[in-house]
Amino acid sequence: MTDDQAEGDSAFVFTGDWREFAPIAFTNLLLTIVTLGIYHFWGKARVRRYLWSNTRFIDDRLEWTGTGLELFIGYLIAIALFFVPFGAINLIVQGVLLRGHAGMAGLIVFCLYIALLYLFGVAIFRALRYRLSRTFWHGIRGGSNDQGFAYGLDYFWRSIVGTLALGLMIPWSMTSLWNRRWNAMSFGPMRFSAEASWGPIFPRFMLFYITPIILLVLVGVVAGAAVGTGALAGISPNTPPSPGIIITFALLGIAFYLVFFGVLGIIAMVYYSAYFREAVGSMRLGELWFAFNARTMDWVKLYLGNFALVVVTIGIGSIFLPYRNWAFFVRHMEAYGSVHLDDMTRSMTRTPGQGEGLLDALDVGAF
Amino acid sequence: MADAWLYDGETALRHAVSIRLEGDALRIARADGGTASVPLATLVRREDVAGDAILGRRDLPGWRLILPGGVPADLAAALPAARRYGGVIDRIGLWPAAAAFAVLAGIALALFLNSPPLVARAIPRSIEQRLGELMVGDFGKRGCATPAGDAALAALVQRVDPDDPTIEVSVVRVPIVNAVTLPGGRIVLFDGLVQAARSPDEVAGVIGHEIGHVRHRDVMESLVRQFGLSVLLGGMEGNVGGYTNTLLASAYSRKAEARADDQAIGLLRDARISPAPTAAFFTRLGGKDAKAERMFAYLASHPVSADRARRFTRSLDPGAHYQPTLDAAQWQALRGMCAASPKEENGWRF
Repeated sequence: MTDDQAEGDSAFVFTGDWREFAPIAFTNLLLTIVTLGIYHFWGKARVRRYLWSNTRFIDDRLEWTGTGLELFIGYLIAIALFFVPFGAINLIVQGVLLRGHAGMAGLIVFCLYIALLYLFGVAIFRALRYRLSRTFWHGIRGGSNDQGFAYGLDYFWRSIVGTLALGLMIPWSMTSLWNRRWNAMSFGPMRFSAEASWGPIFPRFMLFYITPIILLVLVGVVAGAAVGTGALAGISPNTPPSPGIIITFALLGIAFYLVFFGVLGIIAMVYYSAYFREAVGSMRLGELWFAFNARTMDWVKLYLGNFALVVVTIGIGSIFLPYRNWAFFVRHMEAYGSVHLDDMTRSMTRTPGQGEGLLDALDVGAF
Repeated sequence: MADAWLYDGETALRHAVSIRLEGDALRIARADGGTASVPLATLVRREDVAGDAILGRRDLPGWRLILPGGVPADLAAALPAARRYGGVIDRIGLWPAAAAFAVLAGIALALFLNSPPLVARAIPRSIEQRLGELMVGDFGKRGCATPAGDAALAALVQRVDPDDPTIEVSVVRVPIVNAVTLPGGRIVLFDGLVQAARSPDEVAGVIGHEIGHVRHRDVMESLVRQFGLSVLLGGMEGNVGGYTNTLLASAYSRKAEARADDQAIGLLRDARISPAPTAAFFTRLGGKDAKAERMFAYLASHPVSADRARRFTRSLDPGAHYQPTLDAAQWQALRGMCAASPKEENGWRF
């Protein structure tokens, strides 16, 4: 039996409705408050059950089978393995500092950050593996046999190399790490394959370097023109500047700051949208090819929407962010090719026992 | 009899089936032939999706039986009930569960917030001292030292708190107007404070305050509390935990500061040292910043200076015969202590 899907609408459809999601989000908030935060993990599982069950792939919905208890245990393990030792090291660093050995304290903190970088990598891998192992479609799940410790090392050195040469190798480190982790993942009996390359996204990455120079030149030209036309004649080093001039300069400074970071934020999205299209677009599972079609403007709209939602509701709107982000992700996902349902058999990968505790603790994203 | 869909968890193929109850098992007949009997005890109900009821099996992870439109009436009694929030909450209902959780949370919070003093007092002094060694090493031990200055400091401590061998006070060469009690109970006066004080009585008030911290084990208590709060609030997302932590911790430290002030007032009274200079000292410290300080009183760890000064002033007894803490020569020796002692060298001293 073959299930072909190539023409027409996307293979991924999001069927959720925020009015259905609202009761879930608000009851989660209530229960999280009255349980002093412990229900947070169960709430997260409930949100995912809703989002996954409203994600239709080809002919049937996904199913999330992860539980709050798993996430909670994962969090406890992360605390035991992570916070307790790091807290102890913190005490030692304080002691070393008070003994007047700033250099030694700096060295310890440096080693701590190195260790953190490794743990970050492990956490990202294990969270992805956990999520795939709890995602079912047609009664079949994904997973990985890797534990993620080797990926941690990879993440470690590729991140460091990425920052060399003024960060010019960041696109290479991002795409190669994407490939590394997805090539270790599978769904049912089939392995994912990812072959994202850094070449196509590199031109957009160069905007990070070129734009600030252009901005600075522009500011220089404007300032030069102002001096040339005598607009600044009122300023002399001997007399204190008038309040008007001070305010003008302050406003100019704020405007420059906003433009600078606004522009940087937009460049970040210009780059990231290309990265994500390249990364997802290079993925294959059996005879399925994936694609992601969100353009820069879609990302900008998502972020501005999220920002406005949180600000207007004084933070309460943030309970809707998982919904918005997931809906965005699914609506822009596409798949081509075919799935042979009778070849799609039970996954033999080991299921991890606990959730994404370390990732929760470190607060980084998995995809 | 009812029609349903089945995924067997072995392949992704979807099977049309019809199901019916047969004793304590569910009889599942596939449309393309083949039947199976599944014991009811192995069935678990998963969350309903879009009106469809979904059953899984405890022993087969991917096995799913999907009943379009929900569980038929004739099967409802035999099959597990629908679940939404999971566990206890489904059994007793959302609102009763929320109320019960709120009560439990209140009790837990009260216990938790009141336990640090008890835990702190249960930790032996020797362990606290070792912890102090680990955290701050011999900071404060290598303070300024001159024979006359040491004698003056000893005399001052003896006046404030007579014959207490556990109290250990030193002066360090730090130009900050402050004094601290270290884990382990060592009191360290910064030279900046000694220089800012106008009389030994002011220093006596400050030492009395720090002795209050030592007696109440406030440092250990705040260590225990910080540790507990950071573990408890770690579960909250982002900054909420951090802010709550700061607010709670500073509320408690203000309470501890006020208690230490009470101790200082008591010690000064017993030693017949006037509290007025200490009050003046706090007023001077408050100075111009008094207004700003009151605005942020809820975030600051110390009570507002003006309030502290008022409490010391109130304890002034017009009928008492107050005597200066040190004579002029002793006071000069204490003030000149750091200038006269050789600079400490930095070395490893674990």
